[in-house]
Order: sequence, then C-alpha cells, then structure tokens
Amino acid sequence: MSPPSDATLPGMSGATPGTTLLRPEREDLQVAALAALAVALHVLETALPSPVPGMKPGLANVVTVLALVRFGWRTAAWVGALRVLVGSLLLGTFLSPTFILSAAGATGALVVLGLAARLVGIAPRGRGAGQHDGPGRGLSPLGLSLAAALAHMGAQLGVAWLLFVPHPAFLYLAAPLMTAAAAFGTLSGIIAWRILELDATEPA
Amino acid sequence: MSRPLPTPADLVVFALAAVLLAGLHVLAWRQAGAGPVVTARVETPFGTRYLPLDRPGTYRVRGALGESVLEVRGGAVRFVDSPCRAKVCVRAGWVREAGALAACLPNGVVVTLTGPGGAYDAINF
Repeated sequence: MSPPSDATLPGMSGATPGTTLLRPEREDLQVAALAALAVALHVLETALPSPVPGMKPGLANVVTVLALVRFGWRTAAWVGALRVLVGSLLLGTFLSPTFILSAAGATGALVVLGLAARLVGIAPRGRGAGQHDGPGRGLSPLGLSLAAALAHMGAQLGVAWLLFVPHPAFLYLAAPLMTAAAAFGTLSGIIAWRILELDATEPA
Repeated sequence: MSRPLPTPADLVVFALAAVLLAGLHVLAWRQAGAGPVVTARVETPFGTRYLPLDRPGTYRVRGALGESVLEVRGGAVRFVDSPCRAKVCVRAGWVREAGALAACLPNGVVVTLTGPGGAYDAINF
C-alpha cells in the first residue's frame, strides 16, 4: 500500500514506478490453501465437546501430513505455523497458555516429521503403491500421522508439565491423553492415506 | 478403493507407540496403587522423626524428662505413656486425621499427622 511516488527507484522500470509488485509464487498459494484448510479444521474442532480437557481429534494433523508428503517439510512447517498463529488469532487465544501449548505441540510434531522424513523416508501411499520407491520403503501417512500425533501430545504434555502443573498426578492425565492421541493419529493417517489415493487416481 | 496397508517402517512406529503407551499406563497404574501415605511427625528436643502410619508398632522417643511411648496401629497414633504429671497426651487418645496432633509439652514431644487432605490444616487445643 505504498503511496504513488514521482521518484523512480534505481533499477526499477515498468508502468508503476516506485512500486514493487509481489507476485505470489506457486508455493505461496499451496501454503495459503493448505493453511486455510488447517485453520478451518482447527477452529471447527474447538466447538466439539471433549470428555477430557486437551482431548481433540486433531484433524489438522491430516493437513500437515499431506503437506509433508506432497510438498515437503518446508511447506508442512509453514502450514503448521500459520495454523497455530491464525487459529489463535481467530479464537482469541494468542499468547495465552492455550497458544503456548498449541505451538509446542505443532513444533514437536514438525520436528518428529522432519526427522522421520529425513532418517526413514516417505512412502506416499504405503505398500505396493510406490513404483518409484520400491514396495513400501519408508513411512506411509499411517506411520507419519501416528508419530506426529504422539509427538504433538508429548510436546504439549512436556511443556504443560514444565510451565503449568509440575505435579506427580500429571501421569494420570498423560496416559489417557497419549492413548487418545495414538487413536486419533491413526485415524488421521487413514484419512490422509485415502486423500492421497484419491489424488493419485484422479486424471491429472 | 484399497485398504491402507502399513509399510514395515509404519509397523515399527506402531510397535514403538504401543510400548510407549503400555509404559505410561503401567507407570500411572503403579502410582495409583501407592496411594497417599500419612506419616506422623514426631518432634522432640533432640530432633524430628517420621513414623509411617502403615507400619504398626510401639516406638520409644526420648524427651526432656524421659521416654515417651508411642503406639501406631490401624493408621492412627497415640501416646501410651509419657513421663509427665497430667498425662494430657495420653488422654488425647488416638490421632488419625491429617493435621491433627497430640503433644506432651512437659516432655517436649509433639506428634503431628502429615499427609494430603484432612479436614484441618492444624488442630490446636
């Protein structure tokens, strides 16, 4: 939103002198679309009732895993960071404890996904589907999603323990929450796997 | 639509997750079994001792005048005897609430129950 200027910057030529046109690149659009989807899921989920505080499906995990498998870790990290930031701004939790926990979870999940992708590798659609990678070498969305969900919950619990409630009874909360994370992580993995399969069978 | 099949690497992740969850549950279970332990804090002129109330027995503690005899039974503690004149401590009877206390002031022996919960932070007479 720069005001029109008479002075032409050196090195600039074109119809609008003094104005820099930011053209979104392909990657920017991918990040924006995926982040929008992740934010929508994130916000919708907060409306769901939950039996235990902190227990939620975490369907935005699907988007992170899809971003990782299709576009790489950089895109996944952008999507995760934007989801946490925009989601907190929409819900009014920016810089609150909720936000800190959310950011810790997303960071944990992205670190583990990055390590998994680098050290183990990615098999986009599981066994028998990767013609290029050989039969199912690396982690499919199933394993990636489960690992990400557990890392997300683990990081959240760790930060909650360190910052908010360093009490021995914390274990009673950790066991069921990690179990729920494993269940929902597996579910997210199946969803991600299905979406990638649809994506692959669609005519390009 | 084909069913999602895990790769060998996926199976390793599943196995690690199962071990992690089993470990967490075992830890939580063990911690739950322990339960809160109430102890009797015994203050004497010669130092402080702690008696666990889940171990019945008779204990002798040295005070300013001589030996006080404490008995622990059924999660409670009492003065059986003390070398004082009024025997207020013995008449106080069994002490079983967290925060409650019995004391033999002449002998300088104060028994307080410490532990989570309890209706009182402290009881004084």
